[in-house]
Amino acid sequence: MIPVSYQASFRYLLRHPWQLALSLLGIAIGVAVIVAVDLANASARKAFLMSMDQVTGEATHQLVGGTRGVPEDVYARLRVDHGVRSLAPIVDGSVEIHDTVVEVLGVDLFAEQEIRAFTSEASVPTDTGEQSQQNLFRAFLTEPGSVTMSAATAAELGLRLGDAFTVVAGGIEHRGTLLGTYGGEHGGLDNIIVTDIATAQAWLGQAGWLSRIDARIVGDDPEVVERLESLLPDGVRLLTAAGRTQATAAMSQAFMTNLTAMSLLALLVGIFLIFNSVSFSVLQRRGLIAVLRALGVTRGRLFLMLLTEAAVLGLMAGIVGIVLGIFLGEQLLLLVSRSINDLYFRVSVTEVSVDTLSIAKGVIAGVGAALVAAAAPAVEATTYEPRLAMARSSLERRAGRSLPYIALAGAATIVFSVLVLLISGRDLVAGLAAVFLLILGFASCVPLAVRWASKALSPLAQSVGGTTMRMAVSGIGASLSRTAVAIVALAIAISATIGVSVMVDSFRGSVQEWLEQTLQADVYAGVQRGAMRPDLIEDLANIDGVSAVSTSRRTWIEDESGRTQLLAIRMAPGAYAGTELLDGAPEDVWTGWESDDVVLVSEPYAYQHRVTAGDVITLPTARGDRRFRVASRYQSYDINASAVMISRANYDRYFEDDGVDTLGLYLSTGTDVDGVIESIKTISQGRQRLRVDSNAKIRNLSLEIFDQTFVITDVLYWLATGVAFIGILAAMLALQLERAREFGMLRALGMTPRQVGSMVTVQTSVIGLLSGLAAVPLGVVMAWVLIKVINRRAFGWQIDMAIEPGILVSAVAFAVGVSLLAGIYPAWRAGRNRPAIVMREE
Amino acid sequence: MNKEIEIELRAVRRSFREGDTEHVVLDNVDAGFYRGEVIALRGRSGSGKSTLLNLVGGIDAPDAGQVIVAGVDLAPQTEHARTLFRRKHIGFIYQSFNLVPTLNVADNIRLVLELNGISRDEADERIDELLQAVGLADRADSYPDVLSGGEQQRVAIARALSHRPAVLLADEPTGNLDEKTAESVIELLDRLIRGTGGTMIMATHSTTIASTCDRTFELHEGKLVAA
Repeated sequence: MIPVSYQASFRYLLRHPWQLALSLLGIAIGVAVIVAVDLANASARKAFLMSMDQVTGEATHQLVGGTRGVPEDVYARLRVDHGVRSLAPIVDGSVEIHDTVVEVLGVDLFAEQEIRAFTSEASVPTDTGEQSQQNLFRAFLTEPGSVTMSAATAAELGLRLGDAFTVVAGGIEHRGTLLGTYGGEHGGLDNIIVTDIATAQAWLGQAGWLSRIDARIVGDDPEVVERLESLLPDGVRLLTAAGRTQATAAMSQAFMTNLTAMSLLALLVGIFLIFNSVSFSVLQRRGLIAVLRALGVTRGRLFLMLLTEAAVLGLMAGIVGIVLGIFLGEQLLLLVSRSINDLYFRVSVTEVSVDTLSIAKGVIAGVGAALVAAAAPAVEATTYEPRLAMARSSLERRAGRSLPYIALAGAATIVFSVLVLLISGRDLVAGLAAVFLLILGFASCVPLAVRWASKALSPLAQSVGGTTMRMAVSGIGASLSRTAVAIVALAIAISATIGVSVMVDSFRGSVQEWLEQTLQADVYAGVQRGAMRPDLIEDLANIDGVSAVSTSRRTWIEDESGRTQLLAIRMAPGAYAGTELLDGAPEDVWTGWESDDVVLVSEPYAYQHRVTAGDVITLPTARGDRRFRVASRYQSYDINASAVMISRANYDRYFEDDGVDTLGLYLSTGTDVDGVIESIKTISQGRQRLRVDSNAKIRNLSLEIFDQTFVITDVLYWLATGVAFIGILAAMLALQLERAREFGMLRALGMTPRQVGSMVTVQTSVIGLLSGLAAVPLGVVMAWVLIKVINRRAFGWQIDMAIEPGILVSAVAFAVGVSLLAGIYPAWRAGRNRPAIVMREE
Repeated sequence: MNKEIEIELRAVRRSFREGDTEHVVLDNVDAGFYRGEVIALRGRSGSGKSTLLNLVGGIDAPDAGQVIVAGVDLAPQTEHARTLFRRKHIGFIYQSFNLVPTLNVADNIRLVLELNGISRDEADERIDELLQAVGLADRADSYPDVLSGGEQQRVAIARALSHRPAVLLADEPTGNLDEKTAESVIELLDRLIRGTGGTMIMATHSTTIASTCDRTFELHEGKLVAA
């Protein structure tokens, strides 16, 4: 049986369904964003790990080599000469089938049994229509190009058993045949095709080389590990399979942490709104609360009653939020997986997997946020004297008296956040926590500033629009117990908009500048995977109008800390300026570039590996581990941020790879770029499929990818702004409800509905203006922290901060617009207040 | 006394619905009040006193009949027209004062003058005059929440008279005041309204207050009768 005091309290909420609905919606959206981001992140991660698990199989360790991989004879020696069993060679890489990029897993079926049973489990029809494994073995060995894949992948590629298709690898066309498919039990194998190792080597141009050798060491027996390590030639290292998976997954960790932080921002705004709603409901029920107190309800019971109410609201909103979150999560998953694919690793995932942990997080966020938000107003309610009515003016006076103390606490929080930033070193989570403290601290100062501003603006309002206008403006400062929280919530949302916009804009500016400097050739031709044919390179270099060429080769080196891109560059004469060096004088760096054992490291690599100019790093070359001096750090916003640049001369000397994947063509003055592109296409026709783009097109494409990456950021801060909009709407509605008598009286005095409505509209506009203005300093500081601290800690990028005044102006205008929009309905309602209400209540 | 009729009610009917039930508050009411008269309106709670004041003030419109104030029949007027009429010709005083909490005493009065398009200089003059008249000349800058009930009601009186309305409607103006304060407020109201020559209808339960008025009417079961 629900106590009558609780019933009285709840019925009050039910009598104001709009306010109740808006409170629920505010918190529900906050929870939905948390759940959605969590589900999207978890699903992407889970899909990746599942895929890695399937591909890794029972392997406990992996042998990896230098940029080209592990020489094939290492496998033969280990297995035949040293009798090491439980090894499986792998050749993997990306190819295109029907314009879709898929991963090829080249295996030796005989060696697979102990590592990946699924590779021989494909359904292969025999001539008599029965399934046979014999067929699979025979076809793999005797029919080059035979592949197996999951039934889902086959369906996506539009292939049926026995179909022949074209495989494009390194721009060269090959033939493939679908031999068999795996059933649905092999989840995680989407976008992967399995073929014989020899076929994979032929397609990927890795004759004589393996990408890695998988090893199964039962129980991680240290003796076996030690023995295996002792047998490895220089340049080949033994890594644990789990560690390798984790290192790859960890690459995206910072990205996911940032998304989680943004989702927490939406919840923070949501918490302010719940605080707002609960404060309102407590303030509006002060009469009821006073009666309950007069009738003998204790302070403790009252406190408990209000918290219970908040918990129930939080739970209801939490449930709605979770349902919304699952739906939103599916939309976000597309954006998250696209960004992960662009930035880190291939992940194939189309639907969110709803796990109980994400749901629990949503419920905890909903109920927890409601309780945190309700605690302060509930404590305040218990201090009400048990008399029948409490003058609103005394409430306002009380609220007014507390403002300086709240602002002081806010200032202390800001100082504390700065300290956290200073002492937290490179910790990303601590950096984000400091951002939240900064927001909270700043938010606490806003109400006092608004009171001052409202006071200061009142005379101006009087002279512009008379007493009515002045009432609207001074009313803001005089009703801070109702408006402050909504103003703060909007200010936070707008400051996040400013912070993120300035950060993205600065980042975009830096990237644009970097692209302009880096892309020095007029036309680029190359292959995304594999290597260009040497004869083709020669023919392209001889095209009329080409005055010079540069070449680049992108490969990967791998160690315990993960993968690093190795960029071998042969620069065109005089093209050194395309690389912005961050240390030392360029002439000193470039002097020994070709002859000395030196490398350049990208800024993110330097940050992550804590190296700087003059340090020595070790790279696994074809001739074993080799030490290189870091000549300088260089500026790079490459998607593969962690990179080491080496001269082509050194690369040729140490890495036994003559491959070139991109050719930069420098054209003589007056040469037609489009004409050269056409010539390249004609020359390469039928020889190798090349990707040919002009300098300008690559720049545009790069910026498109950049913009695409930040779509999810846009979505998240729009959601936070949406929550703030609901807050302003709820606050204004509640305020209009509170002031119904006042508006009725103004109507009785002869104000028209339009005049009352205008007054409310002016008030909401000024609220928006003050929120927008308050958001500017916080937004700018937030941008600085995001650029100089968070981005640096998360990705290692150095970005020059550039504030476009347009961003600040449009943010303030946006705040006014949001408020105006939220004020339309309350203004209309205020105007419709019948003056009779005043008389009737007499 | 000038016997020109200022307020005339002709066959006025006003009812309210509550679910399926219709409550007739004013049933075919006829009455005439002369310019300069001070009328007491009595009746039990819920008898329709406030409804009648609302009709005369143009806040509400009758279901049937005519409400003629200062020569204008308010019944067929639009809400907007009634608002403009009220702004110019009617002054209201309420039991609970209803001052705007965010405006000081002077600005509470100025608000009405501004709505009526009175120039700032003239408004300043009138505010000074009125505050002198109600004995609050030194409280012009005070906010309502620091005034006593009697003081707040005196500000409300000043506000109601500031635009020199033809009709003043007072709904239990002393309902929230102690006896002594109530007496002084009524005395002030009587003095000021008679000074302007305006007509006042005052809803009251008090026989003492009613005895100070020129005539007393009573509302009973929807009918208005002279007491």
